[in-house]
Amino acid sequence: MATLKKNIILPITLIIGGIFAFLPFGSAAEFSFRSFSETGKLQHSLTSYRWIINQPELASHLFLSLKLALIAVLITLFLMVPTVAWLHLKAQTWRPLLEVLTILPLIIPVVALSIGAQAAFPDWLQSSEYELPLMYVILSMPFSFRILDTGMQAIPLKTITEAARGLGANWLKTIFFVIAPVIRGSVMGAFFLTFALSLGEFTLTSLLHWDTFPTWVTSVSQQNIIGAIALSIFSLTAAFALLLIISLFTSRARKLTKEAE
Amino acid sequence: MKTGMLEIKGISRRFGETVALDNLSLEIEPGELVALLGPSGCGKTTALRIVAGLERADAGTVILKSKDVTNTPPHHRNMGMVFQAYSLFPNLNSQENVAFGLQMRKVSKSKRIQKANELLELVGLNSHARRFPHQLSGGQQQRVALARALAFEPEILLLDEPLSALDAQVRANLREEIRRLQLSLGTTTLFVTHDQEEAMAISDRVGVMNKGKLEQIAPPDYIYNSPSTPFVAGFVGSVNKIKGKLFNGKVSILGKELLSMTNDVPNGSVIAYVRPESILVERNETIPNAKIVTRSFLGANSRVMCETNEGVLIYSAISSTLSGNLHPGDSVSISVTQSEVMVASV
Repeated sequence: MATLKKNIILPITLIIGGIFAFLPFGSAAEFSFRSFSETGKLQHSLTSYRWIINQPELASHLFLSLKLALIAVLITLFLMVPTVAWLHLKAQTWRPLLEVLTILPLIIPVVALSIGAQAAFPDWLQSSEYELPLMYVILSMPFSFRILDTGMQAIPLKTITEAARGLGANWLKTIFFVIAPVIRGSVMGAFFLTFALSLGEFTLTSLLHWDTFPTWVTSVSQQNIIGAIALSIFSLTAAFALLLIISLFTSRARKLTKEAE
Repeated sequence: MKTGMLEIKGISRRFGETVALDNLSLEIEPGELVALLGPSGCGKTTALRIVAGLERADAGTVILKSKDVTNTPPHHRNMGMVFQAYSLFPNLNSQENVAFGLQMRKVSKSKRIQKANELLELVGLNSHARRFPHQLSGGQQQRVALARALAFEPEILLLDEPLSALDAQVRANLREEIRRLQLSLGTTTLFVTHDQEEAMAISDRVGVMNKGKLEQIAPPDYIYNSPSTPFVAGFVGSVNKIKGKLFNGKVSILGKELLSMTNDVPNGSVIAYVRPESILVERNETIPNAKIVTRSFLGANSRVMCETNEGVLIYSAISSTLSGNLHPGDSVSISVTQSEVMVASV
C-alpha cells in the first residue's frame, strides 16, 4: 500500500508542478503567436516576432543591456574571486561579517539601495550609464559570493595555492591561472547568475531613469500587448538556455571537485 | 671557508603563546640531504615553511647561496616543494602539472613539454603524462609532485612529510627513489619527517628537533650511536633507561663500569641510556642476574624482555639465530657490551 502511494505521489506531484510551471508559459507562447487577419479573424502566425525584429530600438537596447551585464560580470569576477580566496586563506575570522555584508542587497529595499549607492558615486558616474553595472555587482553579490565560496570550500585551496606560489606564481597568477580554473564550475555559475540578473534587472534601472532592454520591454508592452508577450517569451527562452548552460558547467565542476578530493 | 647552500640563522616563531621555533640555526651544504626529525609540534614544518617563504619568521634570517631571502616572496625563491597533502592541480594532467613551474618562468611550450617528459621519465611515469591527478594512485601523485618540484631546477628541494599519506610498501620504495633522484641530480634537499626510519635511511645528516629547538644535528649513525641529549637518545631508536650511580665520569650499571659520554652531569644518581643491541643476554643457571619475560620474533632480530633481580625491565635486541634457545622464564645473565654510555641526572 505504501509503495503504491509512493508510486502515485511522484507522478502526480510532477504533473501538478509541470502544469504550474509550463501552463502560464505555454499560454503566453500561444498568445504571442496570435494575430488578426485583415477580416478580423483570429489566427496564429509569427507576426509579433516579425514586429520584434523590426523594432528599430531593439538592437540598441539589447546591446546596451548585454554590454552592461558583461561589465557587471567582469567586475564581479575580478572583485569576488580574489576576495573569496583571501577570505579562505587569510581571513576566516572575517567570514561572519562578509556573510552578513553580502546578504544585505537582498534585505535593503532597492529604492534605498539605488539612492544610497548613487549618493556614494562621484558626479560623473551618476550621469553615466556605467553606474548600472556597479549596482548590478551589488545586487548579484549574495549569489556570486555564495557560489564562489562553495566552490572554494570543495577544493584543498591552501595546499594548491602554496604549491603554485612555490612553483613561481605570484598572487595574481595563482588566482587566475590556478584557483579560477580549478573552481571553473563556480566561476561559470557566478558568471551566468550575474549576467542573467543584470540582463533582466528592471526596478533599479527604472528608478534611476535609465533605459535598458527590460525597461524598454515594459514601455513597448503599453503599445503592443502581443508583441510584449512575444518579447517575454523570447527573454524567458534565453534565460532558460543560460540555466541549461550553467547546469552543464556545474556537472563538470562536480567532476573537478571529485578530482580535487 | 666553505659557503653553505642554505643557512638558517637564529629563526624564531611564535603562534600566540606557543613557541614554534626558538632561535633555530642550521646550515646545509650544496648537494646535501638534511632531514629535520621530531615529534609533531616540534617546529620542523614551521622551519621548512619559513625557508619556503610560506610563513614569516619573528626573528632571524634565511640565507640562500649567500643571499638574504628572509623577506623574499615564495615565488621568487626558486625552491621546489613537495607537500604532505596531495597538491597537484586537479584540472591539469601530469605533464601540465610538471610543466607548471616552467610555464611561470616563461619557458617556451616545446621546451617545457620536453623537460616535463624527461622528469616524468625520471620518476617512472612517462606513460602517465596525459593522466589527471584523480586517475593516479597516492604514490604516483607524489612522484608527479616530486617531478614538478624538480622540473625548474630549483636551488633547493623542500620535502614536507611527502610520504606520510602513503602505505608502508609505497613509502619505502618512494623514499629510496627520492634519495636516488637527489643524488643523481645533486639537488640540495631539506626533508621534514616524524618518521625516524625514513630520516635515518636517506639523509646525509639528521637534525633532531624538540620544542622548537635543534637538539642535535649529525650523520644518522652518529645520532644513533652518540646521542647528545636524553631526548635524542629516547626519540631516535629504542633505548633502555637504566638507573645507576655516577662517580668521577664513570657509571656503574648491570655490574659493569662504563665511561660517561656526558661531561656536565654531577656525581650522584643518574639514568644511563643503553640501546637494546648493546645488551648481551646469555643463559646462566649458576649466577643469573635476570629472567626472560618475553621473546618477540621480528625477522632477522628478536626482541627479548628481561627482568633483573631488582625488578627492572630491560630490552635486548639480538640475532634471531642466537635467541632460539632463550625462552620465557629462563635464568640469564645480562650485561652491557659498550664501554661508553650517555647519562643524565635523575
